[in-house]
Amino acid sequence: KRRRTSDTVDIEDRLESLITRVGEKSTSSLESNLEGLASVLEADLPNYKLKILKILCDCVVKLPEKLTVYTTLVGLLNAKNYNCGGEFVEMLVRNLKEALKSTEFDNARIMVRFLSDLVNCHVIVVGSLLSMFDSFLEVMLEDNIPQVRSDWYVYAVLSALPWIGRELFEKKETEFNKLLITIDGYISKRQKIHVPALKVWISDFPHPQEEYLDCLWAQMKNLRQNKWVEKQILRPYLAFDGVLCEALQHTLPQIIPPSHHEDTVYPLPSIVFRLFDYTDVPEGPVLPGSHAIERYLIEEQLNRIIHTHHKERKDCSAALLSFPTKNKIPLNYMIVEVMFSQLFRLPKPPHLEIFYGSALIELCKLQPGSMPQVLAQATEMLYERLDTMHTSCIERIASWFSYHLSNFQFRWSWDDWSGCVDVDALFPKPTFVREVLYKCLRLSYHQRIVDTVPDTFSALIPEKPSSYYKYEAEGSGSLPGTMIAHQLLAAIKEKCTPEEALLVLKDLPNPLSEEENDPSYHPLRIDVFVATLFHLGSKSFSHSFAAIAKFHYVLKMIADTEDGQICLLKTLFVVWKKHQQMIVVLVDKLLKTQIIECSAVANWLFSREMSSEFPKFYVWEIMHSTINKMNKHVSKLQREVEDSKDRLEMLRRRMADGLELDPDDDDIPSDEMIERMEERMETAMSQQKSLFLIIFQRFIIILTDHLARCEGNGIDYNTPWYKWIIERLQEIFLLHHELVFKYISTLEGLLFTSDIDFHILEVFQQFCALRS
Amino acid sequence: SRSEQERLLLDSCTLYVGNLSFYTTEEQIYELFSRCGDVKRVVMGLDKVNKTPCGFCFVEYYTREEAEDAMRYANGTRLDDRIVRTDWDAGFKEGRQYGRG
Repeated sequence: KRRRTSDTVDIEDRLESLITRVGEKSTSSLESNLEGLASVLEADLPNYKLKILKILCDCVVKLPEKLTVYTTLVGLLNAKNYNCGGEFVEMLVRNLKEALKSTEFDNARIMVRFLSDLVNCHVIVVGSLLSMFDSFLEVMLEDNIPQVRSDWYVYAVLSALPWIGRELFEKKETEFNKLLITIDGYISKRQKIHVPALKVWISDFPHPQEEYLDCLWAQMKNLRQNKWVEKQILRPYLAFDGVLCEALQHTLPQIIPPSHHEDTVYPLPSIVFRLFDYTDVPEGPVLPGSHAIERYLIEEQLNRIIHTHHKERKDCSAALLSFPTKNKIPLNYMIVEVMFSQLFRLPKPPHLEIFYGSALIELCKLQPGSMPQVLAQATEMLYERLDTMHTSCIERIASWFSYHLSNFQFRWSWDDWSGCVDVDALFPKPTFVREVLYKCLRLSYHQRIVDTVPDTFSALIPEKPSSYYKYEAEGSGSLPGTMIAHQLLAAIKEKCTPEEALLVLKDLPNPLSEEENDPSYHPLRIDVFVATLFHLGSKSFSHSFAAIAKFHYVLKMIADTEDGQICLLKTLFVVWKKHQQMIVVLVDKLLKTQIIECSAVANWLFSREMSSEFPKFYVWEIMHSTINKMNKHVSKLQREVEDSKDRLEMLRRRMADGLELDPDDDDIPSDEMIERMEERMETAMSQQKSLFLIIFQRFIIILTDHLARCEGNGIDYNTPWYKWIIERLQEIFLLHHELVFKYISTLEGLLFTSDIDFHILEVFQQFCALRS
Repeated sequence: SRSEQERLLLDSCTLYVGNLSFYTTEEQIYELFSRCGDVKRVVMGLDKVNKTPCGFCFVEYYTREEAEDAMRYANGTRLDDRIVRTDWDAGFKEGRQYGRG
């Protein structure tokens, strides 16, 4: 290979900069910029052809918002140099096949769209594009494939039609109609069991939450009625019609979708989030209807901008606000809707939740005269629609809104929401307000919340966080452990060692001994020690952590069985009942220091003592963080095994090549070490599986119990409590779907069997349908 | 040395957080910064003489990515009505929590 000289590098960098920047704001017209660039590139083709083609192919996937700018550029190049056009098409087709094989579906979709638009630029023969579409649609006829597979291929074709529909309609009407009939047949036959699992709102009022393909198809039918004319896509090639018409066109080679494999993961289906319609926009340009193709095109581009800039919230907000056609659309409304559509996306938002919060703050700063009003209007509408909103989404707004308020001095027209105190406290609205206030409390302090919200909300204002130490409370004299607790208190204050603390606890009688011979844990010992320790550490998180660190040994000793650990957690709850955040943080710490195990946390959360807390959001914060910790632990062990195997493999290869080994290198894993690591990994994996089984089983028990009780009493099962809990079950499935999918057959055979109540089974079936 | 320092900063999972109110607590820091990732520890900056909070702290994450997310999203937003400023820190060492008294 020839060495690249610095001159070459300079020229290549300059070419890259010229190509990637074309279509940005400029003093001259886009047409003259394109014309100029095409001439420059033509001159450089003899020396830099491959580089130029590669840069262009990169632009296809990296700058899809300028798609038509680049198709026009390729068109102009092809008109000047037929071979170059041909080689570009070849390269892009190769990339497309590669993307399909390696399941980079979104990139593949953009390439399909690019190839389609190349027909408009007279680079590709229209008939050959239709053949590609046909071979994509043949996937529908395959046997034994998941619906998500054929869905994607249909989606890839549909999402290119706004660009190429008009041309197909004019040049190939018969074939195009046939294609549309095929798609129509497919759309009407699709299974939609998965839809309820993905809906932000259960209700279709005021806007239906449509499945993404259904919605796109409806938009396409509208576009067809408008004779495939839309008002959103910039089409720079129209200006060059004279030149482009003269060009010779290429025929696309056959592109056959790679066949289905069991482990191919296709994009999950989604629903289309709608918050606003045109009546919500008071003045200015009209919001395109939900079945207007413009709505799809604008939303897609806004989503793209967010995707590109999500790491820089300031750039992201600026890019959103300088949307190309901003004067023709109610941009602020569309931005807010798209931001919330991502935040509420199920199973999870594409980016960290706090990204949306900090970007919305940025948007408010950049448009202080209009954005805050739109955001307030959206918040108001979300609040009004809480009753039918999915629990996961209610939690996400509560979390976002508290953060937003904390950035704007907690100012809000609270009085407008005062009606929520008059209904059952478990209803969504009062629950939402209570949870928002809890979160606000965590970001500020109690007095601030009391001063901020009107007195009417007093029932929903969280209590002032404080600890409770029963061995010093009124009436503690008669408790069996009080004397020892006071001794322990004194001993710890005198800086006793863990061993000395254990000695103090030694003489406590075990209340379980009366019934059992050899009780698995000592509830009184645990209660006295844990309550006293957390009481002494109650000043701050740091104090509590230090207490746990110092007496780690004692905690491990007294809570060495699962029952003991659950008992420890129950004591923790009694001490910190009025400080949710402390419970969250301490459980986290106890897990990380391996004093308690994940399964103990799950069983504790489902215990009778926690039933009044069960609908509260922090319980689920603990549940998910516990599951996540288990998952992280497993993947860490998996990674370690892989790494060691790789290292050993590399070593063997080097030995085979006759290289000497450094005998002092203790980084070299032995076979026995790897075996031990694998054992550890397998243990962790079985713990992970049993954690999920415990959780699902406990869900089934409490839900079955509720359903049976309601039926027995002849009352409606669909209570607020039921809503919170069944949707939390759904949430466990969704948030951890990658893992839970691995256990599907176990779950089906063991837990979600046909004899359980249909309402519970249905949640499982909807989940399974996400990938079928 | 300087290059050593730069290397530490590039791999660091610790942030220096400044411009805090003297009344802002560890609890509040946890709430904000846990939204960006799993917080390993928070060390409050203390006045050398009185050992009371004096407007800064260190936040350490388990991974670099989580710390980067905090730089992206928490930096420049408000806590207790004050705009928090985060910066990379080479890693907390005992004694550094004491500000100038």
